[in-house]
Formats: sequence, structure tokens, C-alpha cells
Amino acid sequence: MTRSTLALKPVQRRPAAPRAKRTLSRVLIYAALLFWTIICLFPIYWTVTTSFKSAVDVTQAHLVPWVDFQPDWKGWRSLGLSPDTLFGTSTARSEFANRFVNSIITSVGASLLALILGSLAAYGLSRFRYKFAWMRNDDILFFFMSQLILPPVVLALPFLVLYKALALLDTRLGLVLLYTLTVLPIVIWIMRDQFNAIPIELDEAAFVDGLSTWGAFLRIILPLAVPGMMAAFILSLVLCWNEYFFAALLTSTDAKTLPVMVASQTGSQGINWWSMAALSTAAIAPLVLVGIFLERYIVSGLTTGAGK
Amino acid sequence: MVKQQEHDQHPAMHPSRRTVLKSAAGAAALGTSGALGAFSELAFAQANLRAEITKIPGVGKGAPTDADWQKVGELCLGPTKASIKEGEFKGVELSFMGLNNQNLHNLLFRGFLKPWEAYTGARISWIDLAQADYNPRLQQAIATGTVDFDILEMGAPFEGDVCGKGLASEMPDWVKKQIDVDDYVDYLKPPVGTWNGKTYRVTIDGDCHNFNYRTDIFSDPTLAKAWKDAGNSTDWGVPKTWQQVQAVTKFLKGKKIKNQNAFGYLDAPKPWGGFGFYFLGSRASAYAKHPDDKAWLFDIDTMKPRINNPAWVRAIQDVIDALPFEPADQLNADPNTTGFQQFLAGIGSMIPWWGDIGQVAKASDTSVIGDVVAFDILPGSDDVYNSKTGKWDKLSSGPNHAPNCAYLGWGVYVMARVNGDEKKHKAAWSAAAHLGGKDLSLWMVMYPSGFQAHRTSHFLYDEWVAAGYDRKYITSYLNSQLASYNHPNRAVEPRIPGIFQYYSIAEDELTKIFAGKVDAQTGANNIAAAWEKLTDQIGRERQIGLYKASLGV
Amino acid sequence: MRLISMQNSVPVSDDLHHQPAAKRARGSRKIAGRALVLLASLGFLLVLFIQILHTTGTSTAGFSDWRPILIAYPVWAVAFGIGQVLTRGERGQRALFLLPAVFFTVAVVIFPTIFGIYIASLDWNLSSIEGPRFSGFDNVRGMLNDTYYWNALGNMVFYTAAVLGEYAIAFGLALLLSAEIRARKFFRVVFLLPMMLSPVAVSWMIGKSLMEYRFGPAATLARYLGWDNPAFFASPWMARFSIQAMDAWVSIPFIMIILLAGLQAMPKEVQEAAKVDGANGWQSFWHVTFPIMLPVSITVLIIRIIFKLKLADLVINVTAGGPGGATDTVSSFIYRVYRDRSNVGYGTALAMVYLLMIIVLLTVLLRLSKRWTQKIV
Repeated sequence: MTRSTLALKPVQRRPAAPRAKRTLSRVLIYAALLFWTIICLFPIYWTVTTSFKSAVDVTQAHLVPWVDFQPDWKGWRSLGLSPDTLFGTSTARSEFANRFVNSIITSVGASLLALILGSLAAYGLSRFRYKFAWMRNDDILFFFMSQLILPPVVLALPFLVLYKALALLDTRLGLVLLYTLTVLPIVIWIMRDQFNAIPIELDEAAFVDGLSTWGAFLRIILPLAVPGMMAAFILSLVLCWNEYFFAALLTSTDAKTLPVMVASQTGSQGINWWSMAALSTAAIAPLVLVGIFLERYIVSGLTTGAGK
Repeated sequence: MVKQQEHDQHPAMHPSRRTVLKSAAGAAALGTSGALGAFSELAFAQANLRAEITKIPGVGKGAPTDADWQKVGELCLGPTKASIKEGEFKGVELSFMGLNNQNLHNLLFRGFLKPWEAYTGARISWIDLAQADYNPRLQQAIATGTVDFDILEMGAPFEGDVCGKGLASEMPDWVKKQIDVDDYVDYLKPPVGTWNGKTYRVTIDGDCHNFNYRTDIFSDPTLAKAWKDAGNSTDWGVPKTWQQVQAVTKFLKGKKIKNQNAFGYLDAPKPWGGFGFYFLGSRASAYAKHPDDKAWLFDIDTMKPRINNPAWVRAIQDVIDALPFEPADQLNADPNTTGFQQFLAGIGSMIPWWGDIGQVAKASDTSVIGDVVAFDILPGSDDVYNSKTGKWDKLSSGPNHAPNCAYLGWGVYVMARVNGDEKKHKAAWSAAAHLGGKDLSLWMVMYPSGFQAHRTSHFLYDEWVAAGYDRKYITSYLNSQLASYNHPNRAVEPRIPGIFQYYSIAEDELTKIFAGKVDAQTGANNIAAAWEKLTDQIGRERQIGLYKASLGV
Repeated sequence: MRLISMQNSVPVSDDLHHQPAAKRARGSRKIAGRALVLLASLGFLLVLFIQILHTTGTSTAGFSDWRPILIAYPVWAVAFGIGQVLTRGERGQRALFLLPAVFFTVAVVIFPTIFGIYIASLDWNLSSIEGPRFSGFDNVRGMLNDTYYWNALGNMVFYTAAVLGEYAIAFGLALLLSAEIRARKFFRVVFLLPMMLSPVAVSWMIGKSLMEYRFGPAATLARYLGWDNPAFFASPWMARFSIQAMDAWVSIPFIMIILLAGLQAMPKEVQEAAKVDGANGWQSFWHVTFPIMLPVSITVLIIRIIFKLKLADLVINVTAGGPGGATDTVSSFIYRVYRDRSNVGYGTALAMVYLLMIIVLLTVLLRLSKRWTQKIV
């Protein structure tokens, strides 16, 4: 962390640019940042406020709470999460809680599994040269990447048949395995770049100290790559959390996850904007928290290998 | 039959020796704890039961909650208690697959069935699907043999796929009695719900398209004057034929009502998983459904599509002609948009829809038009196309009406996989019968549930008024539905396998037509060609047979 | 299972490791290793064989489902891995890094791939009473005449080209975030947020609510800026841009993080040296920063393009293919064919052809980019 901040201090060597020019560039930079912040935040703000709107406010698209419209717990009430329904029985809330837990288990499980498998593979692909039949490292990487290409919809029947045979339908394990497959390629590519940036000298130093290949990996290299693994983990988590297609296909009662409930808010009697907004807010909240707490790893983590 | 029921239910209003004696007998029975038998108790209790449940929570008192559903379910447990002993199904596990549409459907059922579960000792686990996933999930489950549910909430159009493949369990007679199948409106009686003569369906919903319109626009004096000034000889009022609808739509563009832009008819050109086709169907039925002809979508003996005959093409052309006069983004409007984002929010003055609009317009707070909406059967047409002669006929009885009984509504079916286990079989059918019960169904159609009136006993307007509905409103609404259900020239949905595939293909081509990429006749020909190919793929001979059966031919 | 070729005659330091790779395993260990692999393989094949017999009805013994395979396979894989280490020593240990991922991936995809190819050769409509019917290449022939498919492919060209725009914006953001600014943590978290909203929520809350024609804030803003009839989805190109805008909103954070990481890993001395040489901002960027960022850029562009080619959710929910098919993507078309029309044989064939096309495209892209990178760097 210190290294990168050091590196970002303005260069002292050349004559300082004219003050006006620097101020102008700073203004422009902040203006651009602010502009993009609005673009990023507004839809999310919109979603959150919609969950507090009553029906008429939604159709009239009022913007600011307490100014344009009176906030209402309608959206949260339909989920059983408003103050007045919080302590009563609510089918919607128990549904929500059940799916929430399942989403957490499947996303975290799949991300962890992908992280383990992917980091190992990435290290191997970064350090060694493999040859499987005709395939070399790059081909192997391509093989992993090609798992991402097929539109999931055509895997519906094959996976139904496969999972039925393996009795994995409607199980969290089944979802975890599938999700791991979908995020594994991304983990591998990210971690490979990560490991490529860690100088080989560190490995060699470890060997000099008498460690084996695996020993060097586990004791020396891996700790350096942990921040990068955090980043890959978070990206995988986000992808798994929002996965809809296979969740709708392969789950029934035990393993159902959140995205299907969000989609269910539209139907033949219109759209429950407030419920959908409340659900979406509740669905995004954990990710935001994860993002906030682990944010520092997402970027600076990927910069290790700064043995420069 | 209706009158007799009215008598029984309003003893105070029409006292007679018969009703007084009955009440007395009932009271005595209650006093002696059932000495006179369960039946008399039921008769007395039922009089109050329907009034009681429809007051939970009361129309206009906010959306019903989980607790309300459970209370209603508890109160309606009578028929179940009469035939099932307490705790009889202890240890039985059932799984129920249905929709979770906006926290209705399956969530409603959970509430209703909780008291049932408590009484019988059975346990139900739930599979909730979003509407868009329903059809694929069902088809794929059938195809791969992963049918993992015992009870299914399903729409009638899919009977071909489920019952036709022998996956459904036949309805036992005791269930038929318990739910009083004779009470269903005519068009929902067999052959609907049956396959090869066997009954499979517990009907909980009736579906037809009715015509929803804005009373304020059609009674506005300014607009009336402008209409006359524009050179029209007829009076300003609600259109009764599609020709009038077109004229009104063209007229209203640019006019204002209450300082808002006024629009006429709203089309739904965007695909909606196959359901969007019904809206073209509503436009076309009056042109295409001849009173002397049972078929309107395909030729009976050959399954040759009629989608490209002059009647349908005229309907498509109507849409093309009307679109420039509708809101600017109408091409991106599917029926969900036209119904709930536009019409209920005050945009547009006429749309066809299922009864949901009427159910929601007053009861829900998404609607701003609760006081100015009224209902009628779908508009007719001055002339109707005769497929046999290839000419347009003008009927001596006036304009041709052909209400579109689209989708036929939801039903509860029990899957054949419970047939091996007698206890499970009884439990599953008991649950289905509870959901399909006569009194429970009254509650379901009165309150936002996703289900519409489907029994003759639902059309007792006094009950609705007693629950809190405005009489004028409810009369208009229920009349429009009843008139559609019982209309002699109603256009009924064919329940052939894969019917939604036909609709989906048509929707795709229709968007191209409406976007102007191809003209109406060419586009319709394309649809017809695609439909022929599909019929061959599914199996033409069988489709012909099933189509005939569905039309009652 | 001759997956790994034994490179016995390769020199010692043939890869990045200087660890003597040809450290031979001792004889007894080799035998033990080979025996282990053999035993495990036999065991696995036995389970498989029993189950196949059971399923085809030839024998009554066996398990009710194929769950045992789920257990037998990892056991076999572990045995294989140990065997590798025992037989090949150091090389075995290296293989052990890659093997778990490979075994896992192959296990999960092998059956679906084979079954998928089989389905693609069928004429199978789930509603048809006869069931699947073998049709060979008919599906592919049908695809060649399918206007919807080619229309969607045409749209994919637009969508893919738009990735460059997303890349440019993301790069700009990454540069901004690497500059010296206050509250960097805040901005970084905020810029990440769009990625976290689920596609369903994005389609509805943004596509249908925010961009709603009459009252949506986006429409209100457009009217304020002078556009009278902000119908975002009613005309073909406007609809395409709207869909692209939504997809970009969701995906730019993803590109941005990866580029940002690359930027922060860049050696500062090079940049400073350029500044000393008198290069101004733009030149220093184009001639110094950009070339160094090329490998990362290519990685992220490839990943982004792959995801873009799968775009379906937004299109299905917001425009259902757009006015007259203007926004239709291949994936959303296949979605309709497979799900709404249950025409699974044809749908799978479409997807397989699409897969082949993409593989060819990516291979070409990778080759080109390699050559270009070498030229620049």
C-alpha cells in the first residue's frame, strides 16, 4: 500500500506546471468523477427509493423522499420486513430468508471452490510448461475460457438429465458445482496475471532455502497473492449471487435462491415495483457490504508483485 | 338455481316459512352439537360463511395479508372436515408447483393450505416459479422425466402436454362432489379440464378478455362536441365495433382530457412469452369467428392456419393503422405495460385484458382510474369473414361479437405419480379440493389473487356489494365477464399441445410487421408457413384430432 | 488416460522454475504410484460398469441413481494425483497444480457437451408426441435460412464493437482513479456498485422504470434537454443504444477494476522518465502507458467480449428482441427457441454453431493481438 502511494506522489524533478493549468485539470478530474458517480449511483438510489414508495408515487416517478413523496413501508411490508410486520409471521419473509441463506451458501461455496482450484491451476500455468496431448499452456487457458462461451440456455436439458441421474437436483451442492464451473475461468485468468507479476526470484529464493515446489507455493507465494485472491473472490461472488438461469432451472424447494424471487415480482397483475425494488435492495446490500469492506483488496491487491 | 341460492342467503330479506324453519333447525342443531347431523349445520353456517369470509379484510381496506389468507382458509375447511378425519394424513409429504406472481398464487395457496395442513397432518413443500419460467420448466421436466411435484397449478392450454402424456391423475368422484363441478360456468365445463373423457382439472380461475374503457372520456362534453365538429354523424360514446374503435383512436390523438394527452385504443405489440398473441386475437375474433363456424384459428380438418386469411390480416392491419395514433413508445409495450403501466395509470381509453384490470382498478392503489372505468364484452364487427365462402358476411342480427376466451384460466391438477400411494392420493386431492372449494373461490375472485370469476355462484352481485364493492362498478364488471363466458359465438382457446409455441412464433413475426419491416399479408403468410412447419413437427394427425376435440366437434 | 506426455528427454530448466525437473522418482515409488493409479482406475470403471448394467436393466444389482459416480470420481482423481507424484516426482508435483481444475472442469462439462452435440443432431420439439427424431445436419441447414438468426448475428457485431467504447470509458475511469485524488476509497466503492445489481433488477428498475416513457427520470431529463418524444426503445437504433447503455453501465466496473489494477502495478519510473523527456499527458499515455497496459487490456477485452456475446437477460426483459428484432441477440433468440418454443434440438444446434463461430473469432483475435503486442512492445 505504501509503495503505491509513494509512487503516486507528484514528480518533483521537473518544474511545477502553472498553477492555473493544474487547478483546471483538478477541476476537470473531479467533475468527471462526480459525473460518473451520479451515473453510477442514480439508478441504485432510484431502486432504493422505489422500495419506499407507494403505488402512485411510482407511476408518477417522484424523486426525492419527503420532498416529492411521503415514504411508505409498502415495499418492505410485502416482504415482511417493515417495522409493523417484522415480528409477525410472513410467508414472504420466510421465503426471502430461506432463499437468502441459500444464495449465500451457494455463492460463497462456489467462489471458494473456484478460488482454490483456480489459484492452483493459475500458479501452475504461470510457472510451468504443460503439455496435454497437443495442448500447451495457452491452449489449456483457452480450454478453460471456452467454458464461458456457450449460452447457458442450451445446457438446460443436459444438466437436467445429468443432475437427475446424480441426484443433484434441488441441492445446494449441485448449484455450487455448476457455479464453480462458470467462474473458474475468470479466477484462473485473473490469478494467472497475478502470479505472472510475482517475480520468479521469490520462488528461487524459497528453493534455495530448501522448500519443495508446493512448499514454496504455500508458504511464500500464496500469502503474497492473497489480496489478488480477494479480488477474484469478490468478482466470483457477484457473478454467482446474481445467477438466474440455472437457479430457476435446477432448484425446487431446498436450494432456491434469491434472483428468482426478484423476477417473480412481475406477473399477470402488473409489476410490484415496490416489492421488486425492496427485493433488489435487499439482494444488493450484502454485496455492497462485501465491496466496502474488502474494497482495498480489490485494487491494491491486484498490484502485488510490486517488487519493483 | 341461482334464485334458490339467493333465497337461502338472505333469509332476513326474503323470509319464508322454509327459510325460517331451516334457520331454526340449524340453530337447534348447533345447540345440540350436531344432533341433527353435519349437513344441517353446514347449510346454516354456509349462509353466513360466504358473507363472513368476503369481509376479510374488506374491499378497499388494503391488500390482504398472510393472516387473512389463513383465516379464510380456516373458515373454508368445512367440506374437508366433512370427509377427512383430523390428522388422517399425518406423515404425508406433498410438493406443490405453481407460480409466485407478485407474491400471489403460491403464496396465497400457502396461506389457504396452512389450516388444512394443521388439520390433516400433511406437509406441503412449495416450488415457486416466475411466470416466464413456467412453461419451459414444465416442458423440460416432462421431457426429462424430472417431474418432482405432486400437485400442479397449471393453465388449461397446457393440458395437451400434461394430460395427453398421461402425467395427471384422474379426479375422483368425491372431489367432484366436494367442489360442486356443476357450478362452473358453461365454457369451463367439459371438454375443458378433461382429456379423453376423463376429468383432471380443479378449476380455480376463468379467463376471457373483456373490454375495459374510461367512462370519463366517453362522456366528456368537450370531446363530444369536437367529435361532432369533426364531421361524425354518430354520437360520441363507447365504441361497440372495431371500426368505431379505429375511428375513435384516430380522433383522440392530440386531444386532451383533464390536461393530459388523450389516447384511444392501446395495442400491445411487444412479445410477452406468447401471451401477447391473445391481444391480437381479441382484435381479430370478431372478424374471424363466424357464428356458423366453430374454428377460427385453424381449419378443422387439416389444421391449415387461418392466420393469413383476410380476417386476421385485417386485424393486423388495424394495429398497423392505429399505432401512429398511440403513444410514441407503444412498440415497446407488452400487455403488462398497456394494462398496468398505461391504462391503470390513466393513459389510453380502451384496452382488452383479462379480468385482472377490473380486479385491480378499484382494489389496488396502483390505479388512478378506479372511479372512471367500466367494462363490456369485446367490440364486434360490422362484417365477419366466412371461411367457407371466402367472403365477408353482414349478419342480420347486427354486428358480430366473438368474445375471446383466452387462456381458459388456471387450475389445480394432481399428478399421476401419487396414484400408487392411496393415502397420498387422497391427501393430494383433498388439498386440491380445498383450494377449489366453492366458498374459498368466492374470496379468491373478490380479492387480488390473479384469479377471475369462474362459477355461476360468483355472479351474485349482492354478495360483492356486501363485501364492499360499488354496485355500478361490479355490475358492469361481472356482466362483461358473464356475457363473454356464455356468449354463443365465443372464441375458445384450443388446448392442443404446444399451443404456446404457435403464439411465440407469431409474436416474433408480428413485431417485424408492426415495426414496419414487412407488410401485413407477407408477415401473416410467414406466420402461417412457420405454423405449418410446427404442426408437422409436433405431429399433424394428432393435432387435428386434438383440435377437433377441444372444439367439441 | 495418456493425458500427460512424459518428457523424459527435456533439459533441466525448461521452464520458469530452476528446480531440477528431472529428479527421478525412485523405482519402488514409481511402481507403487502406477499400481495405485491402476487400482483406482479399475475401481472406478467397476462402479461405472455396474451402474451401466443396472440402468440398462441387464442386472438388478446396482444403485438407484448415479450418485456413487459422484463419489467414485473424486476418489479416482485423488488416487491419480497421488500416483502422479509417486511416479514422476517433481513433475508430478507440478502437474498436481493443474490437475484439480482440469479434472473438475472435464467432469462437469463432458456429459453435457456430448449430450448437447447429440441433441443438436435431433429434431426434437418437447411437445411432439413421437419425441426426438434423428435429423443429422438438418438443423444447421435450417439455421442457414433462418432470418432471425442472421439478424441477431448482425446485431452482435454492433454490440461487440461497442465493447471498445466501454473499454475506453473504463480506461478513462481507471486513469482518473489512479490520479491523486481525495476520497479514492469512496469513489472506488461507488464505481463498483453497478456491477452488483442483478441483471433482472437492472432490466426492470432501469429499463422499465427509470427509462419509462412518460414519467421516468431519464425521459424527464431528455425532455428537459429538448427531446420531445424520448421513446428509448421504439426505434431500432435508439433501442440498440439504450440496451447497450444499460449493459455498459453494468459492465464498465468490471473492466475498470482490472485496468486499474494493471495501472497501479505499472512501474512509475517509466512514466516519470517519459515526463522528463518532455512528453505531455497524451503522448505519455499513448506511447508509454497504453503499450504497457496492452496485455491486461487484451485479457479484459477478451473476457468482456465473451460475456457480451452471451448478452440475453437485458434484451429478453426489456425489449423482447426489440422493435422488429433490432435489439435481438443470438443468445436471446436461442432462449426463445429453446424455452418458449421447446424446440430444443434446433436451439442446441444454433448454440453449437455459435460456439464454433466464437471459438474461431477468439482464436483469430488472440493471434492478432499477440502479433500486435509484439510489434508495439
